[in-house]
Order: sequence, then C-alpha cells, then structure tokens
Amino acid sequence: MSKAPILSLRGLCAKVVDEDVEILHGVDLELIPGEVHALMGPNGSGKSTLAKVLAGHPGYEATAGSVEYDGEDILDLEPDERARLGVFLAFQYPVEIPGVSIANFLRTAMQARLEEEEELDLFDFQDELLERMDLLDIDPSFAERPVNDGFSGGEKKRNEILQMAVLRPRLAVMDETDSGLDIDALQVVAGGVKTLSAEDPEMTVLVITHYQRLLNYLRPDHVHVMVDGRIVRSGGAALAENLEAEGYEQFRASES
Amino acid sequence: MSESATTLLRAPEESGGPLPGLDRNAVEALVASGPPWLGQRRLEAWRVYEETPMPTTKEEEWRYTDLSKTLRLGELRLLPRQEREFAPEGAPALLTGSMRSDWAAAGHVVDLDGSVAHTDLEEEVARKGVVLASLARAVETFPELLEAHLATEALPASSGKFQALNAALWTDGVLLFVPRGVHVELPVRVTRWFSGPGRAVFTRTLIVAEEGSRVSFVDEALSADFPAQTLVSSAVEVFARRGAHVQFVSLQRMGRGAFHLSQQRTLADADAALDTLNVSFGASVARVDLNAELRGAGAHSDMLGLCFGEADQHFDHNTSQDHGAPHTKSDLLYKAALDGAARAVFRGIIRVHPGAQQTDAYQTNRNLILSPDARAESLPNLEIEADDVRCSHGATVGQLDEEHLFYLMSRGLTRAQAERLVVTGFLGEVLSRLPLGGVVEKVSGIIEERLRA
Amino acid sequence: MPQNEVVQDLGLDQYKYHFITEDEPVFRSGRGLNERVVREISAQKEEPAWMLDFRLRALAIYNAKPMPTWGGDLSNLEAVLDQIHFYVRPQEKMERSWDDVPVNIKDTFERLGIPEAEQKVLAGVGAQYESEMVYHSLKEEWESEGVIFDSIEDGLRNHPELFREHFGTVIPSADNKFSAMNSAVWSGGSFVYIPKGVELRTPLQAYFRVNQEQMGQFERTLIIADEGSKAHYIEGCTAPVYSTESFHSGVIEIVVKGGAHFRYTTIQNWSNNMYNLVTQRARVHENATMEWLDGNLGSKLTMKYPSCFLVGEGAHGSILSIAYAGNGQHQDTGGKVVHAAPNTSSQIVSKSISKGTGRSTYRGLCKVYEGSRHARSNVECDALLINDTSRTDTYPYIEIEEQEATVGHEATVSKVGEEQLFYLMSRGLSEDEAMALIVRGFIEPIAKLLPLEYAVELNRLIELEMEGSVG
Repeated sequence: MSKAPILSLRGLCAKVVDEDVEILHGVDLELIPGEVHALMGPNGSGKSTLAKVLAGHPGYEATAGSVEYDGEDILDLEPDERARLGVFLAFQYPVEIPGVSIANFLRTAMQARLEEEEELDLFDFQDELLERMDLLDIDPSFAERPVNDGFSGGEKKRNEILQMAVLRPRLAVMDETDSGLDIDALQVVAGGVKTLSAEDPEMTVLVITHYQRLLNYLRPDHVHVMVDGRIVRSGGAALAENLEAEGYEQFRASES
Repeated sequence: MSESATTLLRAPEESGGPLPGLDRNAVEALVASGPPWLGQRRLEAWRVYEETPMPTTKEEEWRYTDLSKTLRLGELRLLPRQEREFAPEGAPALLTGSMRSDWAAAGHVVDLDGSVAHTDLEEEVARKGVVLASLARAVETFPELLEAHLATEALPASSGKFQALNAALWTDGVLLFVPRGVHVELPVRVTRWFSGPGRAVFTRTLIVAEEGSRVSFVDEALSADFPAQTLVSSAVEVFARRGAHVQFVSLQRMGRGAFHLSQQRTLADADAALDTLNVSFGASVARVDLNAELRGAGAHSDMLGLCFGEADQHFDHNTSQDHGAPHTKSDLLYKAALDGAARAVFRGIIRVHPGAQQTDAYQTNRNLILSPDARAESLPNLEIEADDVRCSHGATVGQLDEEHLFYLMSRGLTRAQAERLVVTGFLGEVLSRLPLGGVVEKVSGIIEERLRA
Repeated sequence: MPQNEVVQDLGLDQYKYHFITEDEPVFRSGRGLNERVVREISAQKEEPAWMLDFRLRALAIYNAKPMPTWGGDLSNLEAVLDQIHFYVRPQEKMERSWDDVPVNIKDTFERLGIPEAEQKVLAGVGAQYESEMVYHSLKEEWESEGVIFDSIEDGLRNHPELFREHFGTVIPSADNKFSAMNSAVWSGGSFVYIPKGVELRTPLQAYFRVNQEQMGQFERTLIIADEGSKAHYIEGCTAPVYSTESFHSGVIEIVVKGGAHFRYTTIQNWSNNMYNLVTQRARVHENATMEWLDGNLGSKLTMKYPSCFLVGEGAHGSILSIAYAGNGQHQDTGGKVVHAAPNTSSQIVSKSISKGTGRSTYRGLCKVYEGSRHARSNVECDALLINDTSRTDTYPYIEIEEQEATVGHEATVSKVGEEQLFYLMSRGLSEDEAMALIVRGFIEPIAKLLPLEYAVELNRLIELEMEGSVG
C-alpha cells in the first residue's frame, strides 16, 4: 500500500495581501514522504509565491483551495507553528539579522520546540550543533557569526542548510529560483540536501528552481512545470532535460 | 526594603537636623571643610552656576529635553558626605545581587548615596602604584594630582550649568590613577546605590592613566523606584596620556523618579585608545553628555551606547567627537530600542578642526521603535574644517522588520521569541564592539529579562 | 545654431554677469524698511485694502521676531538692511512683447539670452528687473488650455478669488523673520495656475535680475498645480558685483493638488555680494509629487531649505540640491520634509562642493507625525572638500512620532583623492581637467536631472571654477 502524502495541495489559489491580482490559479500537488520533487518554471510563474504560501508568509494569502500537511490543513497556522510541525523553507534571499549569532538563533529555535516549562540542555545543544556542522563540513566558528550578516551567497546557502540540518524538517522546500546562484552555492545546496536525505530517507524535498543545473546534482523523483500560476505538466527526471532543450515556451503555446 | 537595608541607608535627618537645599550655604559648608584651592574652585563654580540660565529647549543642545520645566531643583535636598561602612549582609538585594553577578575585578568601590563606603584593590596592583580611592579622601592624600586635574582641563565649571553645579557641590566620588606603563588586567568595578527620594547627589570620577598604561573601569548606578524626584549628577573626567588604553563603561540602572545627569569628558593624547560605553536602562530622565576629545596624533576613541526605554522614560544622549590632531580616529555607535511611550534623543556632532588631517570619524545612530507611542529624535551633525578626512554619519529610525520576523518564525520561533531575538541582536551589536569580561553577559541578561517582562 | 550656443547665456557661466545697465527708475523708495515704505509699495500697486492690511500685519511680525542666530553670519545684516532700497520700480507697466520693454532693460535680458531661449525651449517667460516684472508672456497654445502664467500683481488683479484662496496659506507671514519681511514688502514674482489634467511639455521660466546697487528684491511666487496636472518651472537669478551688499528674499508657495506633478528648479547665481534668504515650500496633496531641484552657486550667503509638506495620502516629495561654495561664500542649504499622512514618501539628496575658504552647510528636517503610517524618508548628503581651508557641516534633524515609519539619513565627507587624480592624469588629463572631471562625476546624479541646457552650463561652470584649484 502506498504511503499517505506528507503534503497535498488542492486547487490552491493565492495572491499578495492588499493586491487584487491572483498569482496562483489552482495548484494541485502531492508529495509522498521520502520523495524529491522539483518545481520548475519561467520567472514570474508563481514558484516563489508557492514557497511563501507553504511557509505562511504574512504578505501572501490563499484565496481558495487547501494545503494539507500530514493530513491537516495548515493554511490557518502561523509560520512558527508550521515550522514546529516540520516544515522548512530554505529562502531564496535569506535576510540579514545583525547582532544575532547563528548559534543563539538555533538555540532559541530548538527551545521553541519544547514545552513551556522545559529547558533546552545547552550542553546537548552545543554537542548537537557541532555534530551537525561536522556532518556538513562547516567550521565551528561559523555558528558565532551573526545570521547572514555580510555573508557571501555561498555562505548564506550554507547557513540555510545548517539550519535545516539542526531542525531536521520532515518537509524541506528549497526556494532556489535565483538564476544567479554560483557554482559554490549550488554545490552547498545540492550536497547538503543529499547528505541530509541520506541520513533521513523519510525527509521530503521540494526543490524550486528555474534551471536544470541544480537537478544535475539532485536527481528528483518527480518534476513539475509551473506556468502562469498552474502546474501544466508533471513527469520524471527526463522532463527537466526536455525543458533545458526546449524551454518553457512550448507550455505557454499549448495554453493559449 | 528590608529592616537591615533601612539601617544601612539611614538618612541623617533621622540622626540630625534637616538637610540643606542646593544653595550657597551648602557650598560654603563644603568650602569650609576642604583646602583653599578646592574652596575657591567650588565658589567659582557656584558663581558660574548662578550666572548660567537654566537650559531651555531654545538651546540646540537641549532642544528635546526641558529640564527647566521638569526638574524642580529647589525641592531637592543635599546629603552631606558621611562615613559609612558597606556590609553586604545588610545591603539591598538589587545591589548585592548585581555585585555578585560581576566577574572578577582588580578592585572595587562601593558608593552609597554619594559617599564611598568601601574600596579594595588587588595587592599586586596597588604595589605597582595604582591608586583607587574615595575622591573626598584623595583631596588630602593626593592634593597635587587633584588640584591639577579636577574640574580643570576636562570638565571645568564653564562647561555648562550642570557641570558647574556638580563642581560646586560634589561630595565624593572615585579617583583612579594608573602610573606609567602599568597594565591593570582586570577591570575596576564601581557600584553605586542611591536610596533617598527627594535628594540630590553629586559625585565625580577622575581617571588618570599615565603614558602606556592600561585599565578598564566599569561604573554601575543602581536604585529602587523613587516616590519623589531624585537627582543623581555624575561628572566623569578621563585622561589617557600618550599610548594609554582606557575603557570606561557606565551602566545606569536607576529606578523611576530618578533624574540621571551624567557629564563625561574624555581626553586622549597621542596614540592613546580611549573607549567608552554608556548603557542606559533606568531613570525617568537620563541625560548623558559625552565629549571625546582626540588631542594627540594617532589617538583613537570607540564610543558606544545603548538604551532600552519603556513606559514614559526619556533618554537624551548628547555626544561630540572633537578631532584636534592629525591621524585621529573616532567611531561612534549609539542604539536605542523604545517600547511604551519612551522617547530617545540622540544628538551627536563630529568636529574636525583645522589641521586635523587624515582623520577618520564615524557616527551611527539607530533607533528601533517597538510601540505606537514611542518616539525618537536623531540629530547627527558634522562640522568639517580639514579636507583630508574620511567622515560619515548615518541615522535610522525604524520598526521591527516583518521579513526578519518571518524568517525566524519559519524556523519555529514564536513571534514574541523572534521579536526578543531581533531586539537583543540589535542592541547586542553595540556590546560586541567592547567585549569587556562580564559586561556583555550582564547587559544581555538585563535586556532579555526586560523583554520577557 | 547648436543648442549650447543658444543657451550659453542662460545662467551658469563663471561670473560673467557683472555688467551694469545705466537707467533711471521711475520710482524708488527711501532707504530702510518702515511703514511708509510698505504703504508706498501698496499704493504704487493700487492694491485692495486686504493686501495692505496683510502687509502691515507682516511688518509687525517682522519687527517682533529676532534675527536668527543659527545658519550663516547675519551679524552685519541689520546695517545692510538700513542702507538698501526696498522697492525700485524700473518702468511704468509690465509688457507682453519685448519690443515694448525699454531698450536698456531689454538689452540686459538680451545679454542674458532670455528672449532667445524663450523662442527655442520654453513655454513661457517672466522677467523681473529690480522690484517689478517687466515682461511676462506665455505661448498661445498654453493660454488656450487655461494655463495662467502672470506677474503676481496681475494674478491678484485678474484672479482675485483664486489668489486669495491660496496666498499665504503655504507659508504664513509668521513662518520666519524673512517670510514676514517678504510678506510686508513683496513685489514681483509669478502667479501660475495649471488647470486640471494639463501637462506642460516645456518649462516655464522666470528670470530675476538686480541691477541697482544697494537694493533688495522680494519676489513672491504663488503656484497652483491643479489635480492631475504636470509642469516644470525654472528660476534663474543674477546681479552685478558691487562693493556694497544687496539683499534678496523671496517667498515661493506651491500647492500641488491630487495626482499632480510639479518640479521647481532654481539656478541661483547671484553675485558674491548678495544675501539670499529664501523661503520655498510646497503643500503636496494625495498621490501628488513635488520635486525641488535646487542649484546654489552664487551669493555671499544663502539660507534656503525647500520644503515639502506631505498632507495627502501617498504624496511624494523630493529635494535634490547642489551647492557650490567658493572663496568667501557660505551656502547654508538643505531641505525639509514633513510627513503628515499615511504612505507618504520623501527623498533628499544633497551634494556640496567647498573650495578655497568656501563653506557649505546641509541643514535638514525630516519630521513624521503620528498617524503617518508607512511613511518612508531617505536622506543622503555628500560633501566634497577641495582645499584644506574649505569647510562643510551637516545638521540633520530627524523627529519621528510614528512607529510604522522608516527613516534613514546618511552623509559622507570626502576630498578628491590623490589616487583618482593620478589615475586620470596618467591618462593624459591636466590636473585641472582631472579635478573638474571628478567634481562633475560627483554632482552627476543630480545634474543629469537638469534640462540639458542647464546641465551643459553647469559643467562649464565647474570647469572654470576648478581652474587653478589644485596645489
């Protein structure tokens, strides 16, 4: 018997809060635990909007449809509630938070998962953090730096992967839409996802990307093509190669 | 307040007649008890005080803080210096708790209501000629040093009305002298406790660091809330001679009802490094005037400040960076986080005087508004009269960034946790620039405690 | 004819405006400021009674206000004011054709290139000589659209209701000592009305010339840009150099109604004996935009802070200024933005150059009133110092009462780097050329917003000013 989906989108429509234009016009998607899915599409197709809606960004609102995570609709949940249930969004442009060290941030995030009276054991946390950094081949001093402040593109991605490693999500949404991703950053993301997937075969990954490059490193089980706020084609890894050769125009043409 | 604390902090009106007001009689009483040079200085200071009008908001430096309307000097009573003993057993929990949380020190001073009640100094440090003493006693034991430095070059009475008032009426304070070439590894810690509502306390600090010496000085002011207006005036004079390294930290944690006026002047000679950190948490009205003068080539000052306001607190930080010699550098960062109906004023000026070529001077003021009723005023000024300089200033006023909060919440932090973390990080950035043992931890702890409240 | 020849006399050369026109005014008030002078001005203009009242009330305010103690050095100003003529009437009436302007005055403006520029690049021209507008003309196509571009006196005479509805509402007489002075003795200036939805394709220009020694010019301009309109107004100013000091104090009031877009450009190139104390302010309504483009190159002392009061939701204000302070000059300039409505935004960009003993000061205010949610303001000031005797100051005031506002201010001071000079010189530029190139690059972000003719002239000026500046 097949496993129950970890994420299931049905007819999801969404728009920017305070604006009238709808960006997602009915997205259907189903992710089974342990799968790696790629969501591809041209700029402006709504890929990043989907990532933000999944994570609960306050600037976006779902206007119709549902997002079920582990069998529950999570659209009314705050971003932190979703995170504590195991949803993780790797940001396309992680924000810089001066003065807050990565270690302090992650300690607070881990504390937030505990019950109110429960205190995080700081020694256990420190050991865990060092172990996760070791796994990803990150120097321990990295954790003392302020979150993304003055980081290079590659360092920001490394920080996202480190957070993912510490928080151990069940569903990781990698918003890698940035076409400017350099080779270093690409390898950080791909290597990190591979390492963490190998460690936890039940972790589900949705990689959002514009180019096939990233998918050369991360072989997805399923590839979806999004155009104008809808998924217009789904298929296997070969679909990504077809896109690389033919581009997105074919789908636009078939639409109209 | 506990029984024993009351005993410890017993005010003289319970043991003698009524307390004097801030008047000429009070000055004359002080003049009578000291040496002639000091008496003359006090009388001259009182003359300046009387001649100088109370500052109003018409004056640029007092544009947003109107003491002429809020501070009732006539109602305040002066507490003469007393011989007191400090016994931790009987002291208020806030005072002892704070002292217990401090890290190791080279020496301590405890000041109770403007009278030094305790000093200690590591034997080894004392042997090298370092002096840590009550200023009132030092008038007798180190007369030349005091006559040369006290309210002369750094904070003469002519600096302003409150500087003059302090120079006329000070009762006690701290002298720290570090001889040539001596490095004091651990900081010197001063803890002050103020107890009497309706009083005015005038205290002074004189730090003289001779050529090539090194020392850090942490001065903490504490009190409970006062049911009546209470004034603490603090004058700070710091001399860093050629090549000396001095760190001066002020932690102000007074209760409501307190008016805290801190006038500070730092003089850095050639190649000296003179860094300051002003942390303001408490008081109803807290005004810090800090003038850093870089008067020798190669002198350097880092000037840091942070304040966290809530309810109706009013903070006013007025700084100046005076570059009077070439190859000098100053770098200022002041931050304020404001909750409730708190208000923060920052006015800072960089002056690069003619001839001070190859100067680097920076000034940054950042304000974080956490509530609809809080407000901030920022006046970062530049006056540049040399052309080969690198100067910049920046000021921002803003609220918590929703994108920051979303990022943190997407990792599982609640909104409150995310807000706390961002505010702590915002203020913590200041502390990370002066990593003095125990200060960072103590101040971070206080910030987190207040954010949880 | 190549374009830059057409305009070379428009405004900005090295001080080539020192020529004196021999003429006899038809009326001149006595020296100094008093009630008799105010009554004389009003009588000369045959004004309605309410305006005389307005002037006399303003005179009382002027007398009651102390001389400012901030800004530039005004210690000698009282003595100067006692010596100047507050009103000088050069001819009997204003003309609509250059042919009717007295020949010596017409010559003056021809030497300044005004009639020529009018034909080529402008929608309308006003010319003020001493205390009165001597010429005012608007192209027919705009007149038929309902645009009013007139002298301020004709505005009061011919459009009394529109005039009275707005006059003195943006800048009350009591705003400051010099707005009070102007309100008492104003003479000349423009009255402009741009009807709803009308977009002027080319600018309107007013040109101000002071010819006589020891006189004061007090033009008053009132501009109403009605809903959805768009226009650009340029003012230029020059005077001959006398050994005594002259005085100029204008008041410019602009009302920018909903959705309108108005730009006001000043290229001030007064001679170096001029005190130039001007109050300029725009009231900006919902979704309207006001842009001040302020070039201060001349005068002995200028104190001028163009302001935008953003009173309508979504209003935007922008103040872009270039100041050049040469030997003995003090440019005390900047800008004010006041946010009094939600979603308002503003920007101030100031670039100053101080050379020789010149001093440039940026003085600015950004005020956000409570309730101006999502107000945004950004201020950038950059100062360039050319010599070790030059001076620059920056005095911003930031007053924020609204939580949901984002305000930033940044300023830098720098000198022209040895390395930059060396690099350019190693490519064959002379030191002066290299310096001029660097200075041009420094002001380029603002200069590029000027109409082409002015940008060309500004560059030429910088080149001349930078001659012999190094070493």
